[in-house]
Amino acid sequence: MALSSSYDAIIVGAGHNGLTAGAYLARAGRKVLIVEKNDWIGGAAVSRSLHPGWTYSNCSYVCSLLRREIVRDLDLPAHGLQVIPYEGGATFTKDGDYFAYYSDHDALRREMARHSPRDADAYARYSQAVLRQCRFIRPFLLRDAPDPASLRPRDLGEMAYLVRKAHGLGRKELGETMRFWTMSIGDFLDQHFENDLIKAHLAGSGIIGTGLGVYSPGTAYVLLHHYMGDIDGGIGAWGFARGGMGAISAAMGRAFEAAGGTILTGAGLDRFLVRDGRVTGVALEDGREFRAPVVASNMDVKRTFLTHLDASDLPEDFRRAVGRFKIRGSSAKLNIALDRMPEFPAAPPHASFLRGDMHVSTSLWELERAYDDWKAGRWSDAPYIDMLIPSQIDPTMAPVGGHMMTVFVQYAPYDLEADGVRSGANWTDEKRAALADKVIGRIEIACPDIRDRIRHVEVRTPLDIEREVGLTEGNIFQGELTFDQLFFNRPVPGWSQYDSPVKGLYLCGSSAHPGGGVMGAPGANAARAILRDTGGSGRMKGYAA
Amino acid sequence: MTRVTHVVIGGGLNGLVAAALLARAGKSVCLLEQSPTLGGMAAPGPDGSARMAHLLYNLSPRVARDLGFAGGRWPLSMTELPSVSLSPEGAHVVVRGARATLADGTPHAQAAAFATLHGRLTRWGALLRHLAEAAPPGGLDGGALSMQGLRQMIRLGRVGLGLRGMGKPEMRAFLQALLSNAHDLILDELVDGPLAGLLAADAVRGAAAGPRSPGTVFSLIYRMGHGGAASVPKGGMGALIDAVAGVARAAGARVETGAKVARILVEGDRVTGVETETGETIGAKAVLVSPGAQVACALAGHRHFDIEATNRLRGIRARGTAAKINLTLDGTPEIPGLPADLLGARLVLAPSTEAVELAFNPSKYRRMSDAPVIEAVMPGLTDDGQPKAHLSAIVQYAPHDLEGGWSDAARDRLLKITLDRLAQVAPGLPARVTAAEVITPDRIAGETGVPGGHWHHAEMALDQLLALRPANGIGRYALGPKGLFLCGASAHPGGDLMGLAGLNAARAALEAAS
Repeated sequence: MALSSSYDAIIVGAGHNGLTAGAYLARAGRKVLIVEKNDWIGGAAVSRSLHPGWTYSNCSYVCSLLRREIVRDLDLPAHGLQVIPYEGGATFTKDGDYFAYYSDHDALRREMARHSPRDADAYARYSQAVLRQCRFIRPFLLRDAPDPASLRPRDLGEMAYLVRKAHGLGRKELGETMRFWTMSIGDFLDQHFENDLIKAHLAGSGIIGTGLGVYSPGTAYVLLHHYMGDIDGGIGAWGFARGGMGAISAAMGRAFEAAGGTILTGAGLDRFLVRDGRVTGVALEDGREFRAPVVASNMDVKRTFLTHLDASDLPEDFRRAVGRFKIRGSSAKLNIALDRMPEFPAAPPHASFLRGDMHVSTSLWELERAYDDWKAGRWSDAPYIDMLIPSQIDPTMAPVGGHMMTVFVQYAPYDLEADGVRSGANWTDEKRAALADKVIGRIEIACPDIRDRIRHVEVRTPLDIEREVGLTEGNIFQGELTFDQLFFNRPVPGWSQYDSPVKGLYLCGSSAHPGGGVMGAPGANAARAILRDTGGSGRMKGYAA
Repeated sequence: MTRVTHVVIGGGLNGLVAAALLARAGKSVCLLEQSPTLGGMAAPGPDGSARMAHLLYNLSPRVARDLGFAGGRWPLSMTELPSVSLSPEGAHVVVRGARATLADGTPHAQAAAFATLHGRLTRWGALLRHLAEAAPPGGLDGGALSMQGLRQMIRLGRVGLGLRGMGKPEMRAFLQALLSNAHDLILDELVDGPLAGLLAADAVRGAAAGPRSPGTVFSLIYRMGHGGAASVPKGGMGALIDAVAGVARAAGARVETGAKVARILVEGDRVTGVETETGETIGAKAVLVSPGAQVACALAGHRHFDIEATNRLRGIRARGTAAKINLTLDGTPEIPGLPADLLGARLVLAPSTEAVELAFNPSKYRRMSDAPVIEAVMPGLTDDGQPKAHLSAIVQYAPHDLEGGWSDAARDRLLKITLDRLAQVAPGLPARVTAAEVITPDRIAGETGVPGGHWHHAEMALDQLLALRPANGIGRYALGPKGLFLCGASAHPGGDLMGLAGLNAARAALEAAS
């Protein structure tokens, strides 16, 4: 498609949120250009072929949070998206046992009772409590976060909605909700369960992607952040996108292009063009410039406002607030090509949980210690790992007989050897190799033959993720999910509705409400804000109409 | 059988305040304290020294007014102490109000940033005080149009107006900081060092939390409700306790020490009195319990609590992490780099925010800190009424559930670690110690009956504050059978020798009686 020099809107970054925002705008009749620095689209939702024959979802690796409203509005299945749910998971222990999580209720109950009959009884109560919180929060994901300091009708309306929802819970349940939002996943699990292994298995979702430990207040909410998704209506279910996570971005890209949008790859941003406090377009690294009255940034809030914008174009207090936004790298990733399925001696042959998320942990205290290592600027001596072998369900990920394994690793600091200067520069090749060795040693507890199966490993430190994807410090959520950075505080107080002090410049990535994960909500919400602010014929089709 | 309208269990500050206010409202009150001395955590030692709590910084003027003290002021002569954050490198930092200097009198490099931060925290603290001075919002039993409902609305309205009055940017900053962690809040403004460490230590005193734990800003703001300055009352904590006990007695309350309650008597769904360990039965329409909800439940019997409530009581986190060490010295120690006139200050050993966090780490795994955070004071230097050569130190972290338990050897180890730590800033101090008393959380629990020996009776975390303190469903003083109330620091607004938990509980009991 021939490029034009001016557009109704330009989106910087073809991550899944940028694509979502672009698709909604294009479908509303706007002429939209998406510029992407990499030669491929997807941001952190990509499928990469880095070893011949194997495909890696080399950043995000499983799917659940993607809002079904967005899947429906953008007609993603028609554009090739297939999400295949996986069942269950397991946590392996050093002494050759495991705790298996089954989605089949009776099987799960039996397995829990094998470890603790009391916990098997407690589980129903626990899952009800979590489900109630999920139900409470889900409607807020696709709404604006109100500014409590504002008296604008929109903010008052959203506040009234919040109060009404809270009131509807009843006094007791409201108390439970407030507790849940402010407590740690460790304390929450301790109040329900007694078995260390069961607690360790359930705690993982409370810390993934954060710079918090299992006993840090606020991590129960992070658990919710991993439970509030759904697949085919199954709340909390997770699945694989057929062809890897890039399939989601690819489908979004096709939806966007089908609506008339243009994607330009290999087009890194130099700076946002601003005149008289209003954005006028973008200038690319290669010197090209494109004009538009609206520019939405899929980059995180720090990159957007501190790297690509002149300090003089922003009020000082806003710049300071953005500077203080906490984006801390805490996780790494290994993507492994296996020549065949590794052995899991502890598991029964063909156990269903081998197709789910697998971990190696013993207790909450081990996880908390892993966090202490990170605080001190070291990777965890006993890291939390979340590993899956999606090629068992999706044969497109590896050659016949071969398998692809994705291993999420926590904690790995961005700034190794905290010396007062935050920098990823301490990540040398030796360090990267040593981290990989540590992680593979950890995997060996579950599958002792893993080293013999490995044909290729891609190791991604926080620094690598930052460099390739452009996420500051390699933080997968574009900013910590702590309550001082959520809802009306995200990304900074007073600017929780996607716009910014520069007129026409919007955020559409995970730094904005409701935060990270392959959810699409920030992108869709940003598109709604843009359409509302720019008026005209742009009615948003779908949920927001 | 004796018969009164109200029995108060526990003669700490809050119990005494509750008893005094009930008696002043015309009720017949009997207060029972299990130990031989009144005061609970504020009980003075035999020589008048500060045994556990040693400083006042949040004593509520509202309580003084309601107790009817002349002029509505506490009848105490208070000496306000500067704070000194001791640096092992010798560059001690002195803080007077919002003003930070170095010990040699030169200005601190970050004095301006500190003053701004201090001002903010103090303004926010004053705002939260409105919430502390009444039962927590929520639970309009009589509906929004009842007297109680109206009062609550007015109070919330006042907080709302206070918020609005700050202006938008400040209001937003407040709503963000309220939920944040002390580490980030402090280091956003200050370079890490003794000045930052002082604030970090104040944010987590008595808590099972480190400065990086979200929610610690809330406790820091709470602490600043009256400006945050620490004071020593003339005559020690005993003077405070005597003053309140005096009001209670003058109003006709019977105040007994050495009287341990064996049981709270319940008939049907209503409290009917208590039975002491000596077998005395005291009939009452209401019983107020100071040490905590778990204690109340154990004394009344679990069968009077529904299963939901029992479950919630079990979930209350009260894991004490602060130990108290009292040292008798053969003279005033020297601290190199600190002028002698500042030896009487509040001395804090928390060289940085990071150091506080590092001290916290081992306590999570039931071990004591190798390099503890210490708040020490020698009250005798500023108050003639207290022994001269007495150093009183709160030492963190020393977890209640220490691995292997608190044996004499473990206590000796804690003492040695503490002396080694103090020797880093006062090398001559250990040699001057002639006697030492180590009061670990297990002893605090044993002596006062407070669960977990927790400095604030229950963790001051966001999920255990306001209407959730100490647990959801019992956040408004009443719990279990009719006539049973909480009146101690485990109830809203919590610890810190404010007296407000006792005041709010007394009001709740009076409202229930009317």
